[in-house]
Amino acid sequence: MAGQEDLDWANWEYIEIITSNIKKITDFLNSFDMSRSRFATLREKLTALEQRIEYTEAWVTKGEMLT
Amino acid sequence: MPLVTRNIEPRHLCRQTLPSVRSELECVTNITLANVIRQLGSLSKYAEDIFGELFTQANTFASRVSSLAERVDRLQVKVTQLDPKEEEVSLQGINTRKAFRSSTIQDQKLFDRNSLPVPVLETYNTCDTPPPLNNLTPYRDDGKEALKFYTDPSYFFDLWKEKMLQDTKDIMKEKRKHRKEKKDNPNRGNVNPRKIKTRKEEWEKMKMGQEFVESKEKLGPSGYPPTLVYQNGSIGCVENVDASSYPPPPQSDSASSPSPSFSEDNLPPPPAEFSGYTLNNKRMDQEQCPSHPPPAPPLGSPPGPKPGFAPPPAPPPPPPPMIGIPSPPPPVGFVSPGTPPPPSPPSFPPHPDFAAPPPPPPPPATDYPTLPPPPLSQPTGGAPPPPPPPPPPGPPPPPFTGADGQPAVPPLLSDTTKPKSSLPAVSDARSDLLSAIRQGFQLRRVEEQREQEKRDVVGNDVATILSRRIAVEYSDSEDDSSEFDEDDWSD
Repeated sequence: MAGQEDLDWANWEYIEIITSNIKKITDFLNSFDMSRSRFATLREKLTALEQRIEYTEAWVTKGEMLT
Repeated sequence: MPLVTRNIEPRHLCRQTLPSVRSELECVTNITLANVIRQLGSLSKYAEDIFGELFTQANTFASRVSSLAERVDRLQVKVTQLDPKEEEVSLQGINTRKAFRSSTIQDQKLFDRNSLPVPVLETYNTCDTPPPLNNLTPYRDDGKEALKFYTDPSYFFDLWKEKMLQDTKDIMKEKRKHRKEKKDNPNRGNVNPRKIKTRKEEWEKMKMGQEFVESKEKLGPSGYPPTLVYQNGSIGCVENVDASSYPPPPQSDSASSPSPSFSEDNLPPPPAEFSGYTLNNKRMDQEQCPSHPPPAPPLGSPPGPKPGFAPPPAPPPPPPPMIGIPSPPPPVGFVSPGTPPPPSPPSFPPHPDFAAPPPPPPPPATDYPTLPPPPLSQPTGGAPPPPPPPPPPGPPPPPFTGADGQPAVPPLLSDTTKPKSSLPAVSDARSDLLSAIRQGFQLRRVEEQREQEKRDVVGNDVATILSRRIAVEYSDSEDDSSEFDEDDWSD
């Protein structure tokens, strides 16, 4: 009987290792997902750049029209 | 606490009823390991989802960056080609050139069903669907979807849209009024001197005492009630005068008791001594107050001190006609406790329904037979019952503000017959008016259809509606400011 319990404890330890690793994977994936906020800031910068380029293009093309 | 987007499925590894086996410990271990494998499966599914989203976002980002890089390169080339000596700068050129406008695209419908992330959508789909009430839609008379009475996701947007469109219409009307007043500008100078005159007269009369003021009113030859001129100095708008501001008449007992209950009315019930005035005077009063809500003038019915209508007039007539109406207006709180459940299939007491604006106009339609306009019964005008005060805006005031132009008539025609039968003696005198009103309502219904078609064609999003409203408001304010300038000039 004691042998069976020992086996059982060994099995539980095995399962515990697996489940803790699963939790690590989920934490890693969560942090990956949260990094989407960086994407948002990048997009903001991109829109600002696009607006500036629009303005500069308008400036430059007007200059060209004159010539 | 944040909302769970992805839930890994077998939540508990070993909380299960065990089958009857000899070696329970091994059984539990095996079950637990099997659940671990299932968890890994769901984890991999969610991981694929996460990386897929990140991938799509990175792709769009990359495409934008590449297009931006191309534009920068082109700009670079153009700038190197520019030669300051060749450029001609002229003053005329600066003025005639079109100003730079950046493309302001507003993001709309961000939190729409389409933009819901896939795992959340899956969680949402595990919920029960609403009952298939739309199967009853073909049996409805008013052409609305039956499910909308149970659950309407677009309710608040529709409500807001109606409000915005109504506001734009009101602003346009005010603009037209201002334009008309501008046209009548030369007449404006007369208004101020008139005011001053009447006040002096009023004070002189008050010197002698209140009784003499009354005698002068009685002597007044025109049908126009002179007290209105005296008591607030303004001419023509009856709504400024309170019931209390009338001189205490001798027979005011019967009139004063209902008057407090109709303090909401635009015109207070006149004291009994004004019985001398015919109903034509009342019509004049109503016409002189353009600020009355449009439905008010057509409702020539007074709940006031009238013989033959002993019970308090305003509240009882609306509840009985409401029985015939398919949907009770829960937003109109005062009606809900009194109305019995409607006979129609959809159940919606807890849900506000946007159909509320159209149904309440039915009560005024049904009011016609119950509240007879005295003009028909008093052609001579010399009868003791005083001329009726204006319509009861009390009973359906909230729905009226939003439903001025939208009376739903067809369902009401059947309802009008019910109260008509209850008051046979009165209906004979008013059948002509009823038929006229019905024709009028029918006309309005066609207009309503046209309006709806227009609205469907035009943009249905927040940005366009808001921009239209703001444009109208700003143009209106400009008109106001220009008017103000004109007044300064006239002074």
